Amino acid sequence: MMNSVATEVDALVIGGGIAGLQAAIDLANQGFEVLIVEKEPSIGGKMIGLSKVFPTLDCCSCICTPRMAEAEHHPRISIITYTDVRRVDRENGSLLATLIRKPRYVDADRCTGCRLCEYACNMLVPHEFEGGLGARKAIYVPFANAVPQLAVLDLDSCMLCGNCQRACPTGAIDFLQEPRELVVRAATVIIATGYEMIPAGFKTEFGGGELKNVLTALQVERLLAPHGPYGRVLRPSDGKEPESIAFVQCAGSRDRSAGVPYCSRVCCMYAIKQAMLLSGALPLADLTIYYMDIRAFGKGFEQFYQNAKAMGIEFVKAKVARITEDQDQNPVLRVEIVEEDGRVEERTHDMAVLSLGLLPAWNPAEAGLAAPAADGFVCSIQPHLAPSRTPDEGVFVAGAAAGPKDIPDSVVEAGAAAMEATAYLRGHGRSGKSADPDDSIEDEQDTLATGDVSA
Amino acid sequence: MSTIVNPDLHREIAAFGCDEITRCINCGNCTAVCSLSGNGAVFPRKTIRYIQLGLKDRLVASIEPWLCYYCGECSETCPQQANPGEIMMTMRRWLTAEYDRSGLARRLYTSAKHIWLAIFGRAMIPLVLLALFHGLTGFRWIVTDRVELNRFAPVMWVWIAVLIHFAFLGYRVLSNAWTMSRLVLGDAPARPRIPLSVYLGELKTFVLHFLTQKRWRDCGPRHHGRWLQHLVLVAGYLTMLVLVVGLLGWFQTDAIYPWRHPQRWLGYLATAALLYGCVGALAGRLRKREQLHKVSHLSDWLFPGFILVGAITGILIHVFRYAGWPWPTYATYLIHLMAMISMLDVEVGIGKWMHLIYRPLALYLSAVKHKAEQAGSQALASDPRRPAPA
Repeated sequence: MMNSVATEVDALVIGGGIAGLQAAIDLANQGFEVLIVEKEPSIGGKMIGLSKVFPTLDCCSCICTPRMAEAEHHPRISIITYTDVRRVDRENGSLLATLIRKPRYVDADRCTGCRLCEYACNMLVPHEFEGGLGARKAIYVPFANAVPQLAVLDLDSCMLCGNCQRACPTGAIDFLQEPRELVVRAATVIIATGYEMIPAGFKTEFGGGELKNVLTALQVERLLAPHGPYGRVLRPSDGKEPESIAFVQCAGSRDRSAGVPYCSRVCCMYAIKQAMLLSGALPLADLTIYYMDIRAFGKGFEQFYQNAKAMGIEFVKAKVARITEDQDQNPVLRVEIVEEDGRVEERTHDMAVLSLGLLPAWNPAEAGLAAPAADGFVCSIQPHLAPSRTPDEGVFVAGAAAGPKDIPDSVVEAGAAAMEATAYLRGHGRSGKSADPDDSIEDEQDTLATGDVSA
Repeated sequence: MSTIVNPDLHREIAAFGCDEITRCINCGNCTAVCSLSGNGAVFPRKTIRYIQLGLKDRLVASIEPWLCYYCGECSETCPQQANPGEIMMTMRRWLTAEYDRSGLARRLYTSAKHIWLAIFGRAMIPLVLLALFHGLTGFRWIVTDRVELNRFAPVMWVWIAVLIHFAFLGYRVLSNAWTMSRLVLGDAPARPRIPLSVYLGELKTFVLHFLTQKRWRDCGPRHHGRWLQHLVLVAGYLTMLVLVVGLLGWFQTDAIYPWRHPQRWLGYLATAALLYGCVGALAGRLRKREQLHKVSHLSDWLFPGFILVGAITGILIHVFRYAGWPWPTYATYLIHLMAMISMLDVEVGIGKWMHLIYRPLALYLSAVKHKAEQAGSQALASDPRRPAPA
């Protein structure tokens, strides 16, 4: 169930991915009232769609879902989903955020998430959560472990037959909903808007996103997820089990011709991880990673890379210049074999994966906040001493919104942003004590958090 | 064999145009995206790597820059925007300078001042010669009541001067081509023995590529238009060269022939081809739309610029002559002569004129080398199996 929407909170967290959730939980545990605003119908961000994390190969859902549940059930966290942030203005030392709540066409107070509407709907459309590989209905609960468990109606795919309305036991379907404006007053804002993948069609040399067996890394995450679209690893064009899979590294990253000069930091490791998982799912498949440099800089990363090599995953130093397909829709990669005699080869694989880079998902300047840095990510004014501080006073940043980042780094930065926000709130006369005298456990936590041991 | 490494080589080469050589991280995208790269000649990455490593000996012996026709795809897709296409263009200039042992090409390429000095210096030669001629003859030869070009500039004298000039140019062309062949085939001791029959047998490669530039077409259908435009320009240029050098006594005349006379229509056709080619090239460089036109070295402007001046003055001579205006005819004739003399001298030094030779020569030499290696490896393979005849 969705908590009631606060109109005045201590902290507003923009983005309900792993960084936003961590920052919100850290702040709430110190006794502050937090509102998470999420643009998608469910919180969880990109992480909830991933299969496993590197370099430990732990299950992503198993790490992310408890965080989502914790945020949902926390007495001091409110979550508002399917809502965009239009503006953030400053008024009398606090921040006024104007939110636009998109119409769900489902009454959130009545919907129980029973999915009868979904079963009744006749429309089938490609499922965004599955990277377009699976199908969903026009009215649907976003995914199995979505939070909140509420249906959402995609009016663009709906033919207004009324089946869902007739099927709904609580009469929650409301075709007349309109976008609603909400104003929230907050003392501090944490930007945790994360990233978007570079669009698969960014490069005409890679088929412009039209080649069926050239997948994006996020699509492969879904193929590998235990509850993924096919339930196993198959290639999309004909359902064949791929026997040879290529990874195209630096697809869009470190590529000035694509307008992304920076390294996206996560692609080397997620490609190695996916190759490992694929070799588990398809033990006989040949796996090749075409790379410019392997950047295994984090804790445990180098060992992870060496393990992948030892497992027989082939690493070929070559920038893939062109991807075409043969008559069987097999991707054909044109590469120079740089480490041998420099000959040009056209290598055919059953499937190719674009290790796409990361782009900022949100531009704070559009909401009236400070302009981002040159790379488009949120600007950090003290990158060494206080990386979560932004040029706007009282506005902090966490996770991939500040630059490409993996999950552990995002979580660490979320904690740091929460700490900065806490100091800022305390400095502005907010104690963070629980407003609810009956909430004794929380009170105890508050006492510990504030260091007020004399109480 | 020792390898000499010159770490400053990239600076030396950058002086010939592209200074983005050090940006390259050797990912190999350019080579893989290139439709001409392959069959043992892989570029541009290897060439760029040799520059970065300072392997001058390998570079002067390499033909790869001459095999690139600058479609620009490598530069469009280069992740580092190191502009590999322009680096190959720069390499062609540098190689032209390396083949020219007189050092003139290097001076011209690396200094705009020298280019302008060379142009105006050479342009003075016909002016001085004509002034001397008329000065010594007391201006009696100049006819002013009607056009008599062959009295202003007697065709036999001009023809002799042109032939002498061409003997000089020919010597320079041949000696540069000889230097290139020596560098590409390697020094005498290291060079494999190549029988004369191979040299002669592969001459067809040279002639074919000299006349058609057909390798350019392999850049892909997107670039066929530019190839055709270039082919038209070359055809016009070669026709004009034959008319002016080989047949000047017949071509430069005060007689006015009928339309169907080849002196007229050959001249018209060649002029139209030259105008079409040079205006296309200049417009491309001004518009900067295609990758290969985005960066222009001064030497890139000269050839089409000279052709334009030559074509326009040529047309004006023709018009003034037919209109019967003596002074304008003589003046434009002089300008035409000055422009064309400097064009030939400067262009034999740098670029456009020489690449007419170097490109087919590179293909010829690589074919010769390939044939010789084939023959060599066959001989090697058959040797141990067969016992030597006693």
